[in-house]
Amino acid sequence: MSARADLLLWAQRVLGQKKPRPHQLLEIREDATVEQATQAFHKIARSAHPDLHRTMDPEDLELVTRAYSRVAAAYQDFRSGARDRPESQRPAGAAPSSAQMSSKALVYYRKAELALKRGELQVGLLQLKMAIAADPQSVFLREALARVEDELKNA
Amino acid sequence: MAVALGIDLGTTNSVAAIATPTGVEFILGPRGERVHPSVVAFPQSGGVVVGSDAKRYRLTEPSHVIHSAKRFIGQNIRAPLVQLAITGVRYKIVEGPNQQPIVEVRDRRMTMPEISSHVLQHLKRCAERQLGSEILEAVITVPANFTDGQRQATKEAGRLAGLDVMRLINEPTAAALAYGFGRDRQQLIAVFDFGGGTFDVSVLRLNGEIFEVIASDGDFFLGGDDLDRALAEVLAAECHRILRVDPRPHAALMVKLMMGAEAIKCHLSEYDAAEGEIEGLDMPDGSSGRLPFAITRHQFEDLIAGYVQRTVDVTRQVLTAANLSPSQISDVLCVGGSTRIPVVRRRLAEVFGREPNNRINPDEVVSQGAAIQAGSLTDTLSEGTGMAARDAVATPGHSPLSLGNARLPTGDVKRPVLLDVNPATLSIQTVSGFTQRLLDKNAPIPIERTHVFTTARDNQTRVEIDCCRGEQRKYVDNEPLGTLVLDNLPPRPRGELKIEVSFRVDANGILHVSAADQVSGVRQEAHLQVLGAPEKHEDA
Repeated sequence: MSARADLLLWAQRVLGQKKPRPHQLLEIREDATVEQATQAFHKIARSAHPDLHRTMDPEDLELVTRAYSRVAAAYQDFRSGARDRPESQRPAGAAPSSAQMSSKALVYYRKAELALKRGELQVGLLQLKMAIAADPQSVFLREALARVEDELKNA
Repeated sequence: MAVALGIDLGTTNSVAAIATPTGVEFILGPRGERVHPSVVAFPQSGGVVVGSDAKRYRLTEPSHVIHSAKRFIGQNIRAPLVQLAITGVRYKIVEGPNQQPIVEVRDRRMTMPEISSHVLQHLKRCAERQLGSEILEAVITVPANFTDGQRQATKEAGRLAGLDVMRLINEPTAAALAYGFGRDRQQLIAVFDFGGGTFDVSVLRLNGEIFEVIASDGDFFLGGDDLDRALAEVLAAECHRILRVDPRPHAALMVKLMMGAEAIKCHLSEYDAAEGEIEGLDMPDGSSGRLPFAITRHQFEDLIAGYVQRTVDVTRQVLTAANLSPSQISDVLCVGGSTRIPVVRRRLAEVFGREPNNRINPDEVVSQGAAIQAGSLTDTLSEGTGMAARDAVATPGHSPLSLGNARLPTGDVKRPVLLDVNPATLSIQTVSGFTQRLLDKNAPIPIERTHVFTTARDNQTRVEIDCCRGEQRKYVDNEPLGTLVLDNLPPRPRGELKIEVSFRVDANGILHVSAADQVSGVRQEAHLQVLGAPEKHEDA
């Protein structure tokens, strides 16, 4: 029964986190490889996949299902954040992420994000360029810029 | 002991099975057949006839025999491909409420889930006769690329047949499960599923008891039916040329040519040429005609080259989406009757640089996987249930389960965990007419994401959000899914209300939407009626 209690504690922990980063939900390091993320996700699935707990109290099962579904989204985010980039560009195998840029660049990046969410591609492009000016080393920013440029071409 | 049925509900044929301690046991039809045609007839004499018996009415009463219902189930009747498919059947389909396709036979109007429920009921009855116990639960397989509406409608068909559909699983995933269950493998495999009406490719990673789909794609309007039709068109032209009668307006004549085409296709999978006559053609003048034909395998391959090329293209796309090269795939499973066609296997071998696995039965492997998943969900699996033990087919009365006291050992086998994926990107329309992606194609399911919406005008009490499925940037280029309505909002200045909408795709691949006002935490009504789908029954 304690495995079940542990599972519920885990679910509450997952759902209780405010704006968690993907690696936090997967319980891996931020610079982990995709392979490590996959193994972490499989480990969670082996104990927490809702199919394995059909006899659970329905309310508890709902909790576990929601927690698992959040972690699935985190796994997808981690994978898509890391997979697009070639290994060689990563400093020591780390996936580039928004956390590694300078704080000044981050301000511009957040503005760019907002503009892009509104569909204002040109504004987003400009903000991204400002961010790159503030942090020319960031692979993450250069790739974000490339994606926006692609979208502008297609639009 | 509760027994749950695993059902492969196919476009042309269906197969049902259960997991027993000695292996997977198939459900046999009234004539001992394992494969049950997915055909429902409403003959002149009254009643409903299903399965192999229903096929007999195809010639005498073509407009009262419903086949290929899977092509229409849960579809929006206004979709161009659906309109095209309607021209290929001899029974009448009209538009019903919520743009659902409705079958009209004599004075009866039936939804597609109702038609499919007759097939499921038939399988349920056969299983109950064979096992001597009532069956209330089932796992049903669907094509991996089936949309939300098609999945909801399939679940509805199960409900109408008196079955609690514990889970819908994707056909290629089911095949992978039957292949890998109990073998504790670490490998990457591809499943190529080319059936009667649908086509899917999935790439999976097997990691012990984990079956993770990495990427999947397909076409639910590509199958053996299309190949038959291509050949039937050639026969129709021949009929016009030789017998001076254009058979296309004559339903019975075309059905006969389609049946001839199917037989020729199967013959050409074994032999290099087919030559003979199609006899008993009921000509419009009342006479009986015979049409000679001679076609080589090579000619047939040319005829279907476009369809085969499409399957190859999709296969390459899936490998790209999975970020894998063909050489990393260590086994290729062929599923579905159309993979018996030599040119299909040849092209597949070219793509992967290896011969596809030929030790699995393309007609039965999907139902085997469904049976294993059904056993897993009811926690009645035991070691010998996989493919490794081969299929133990018991005759009715000798089934280990029909003895009543047979207890399945539990707990000594690791239950498989299926990690399947979202079949298509779910997006919403932005003000500028573009899409904003909410849930990506090939994301693992079950999955949940939340998105915050706000009001655009002061005192706005209703927000409507258009949802679509597809990979295109412009909203109009995608398939419309329906409109999400947030209703009865408290009147507030614009932008002040923050409505958090959660989009959840469950393990069946079905979308659920719920909303809450972020400030007050009050649950808001959120309703998304998927076009073409039956009304939602909130029992799951």
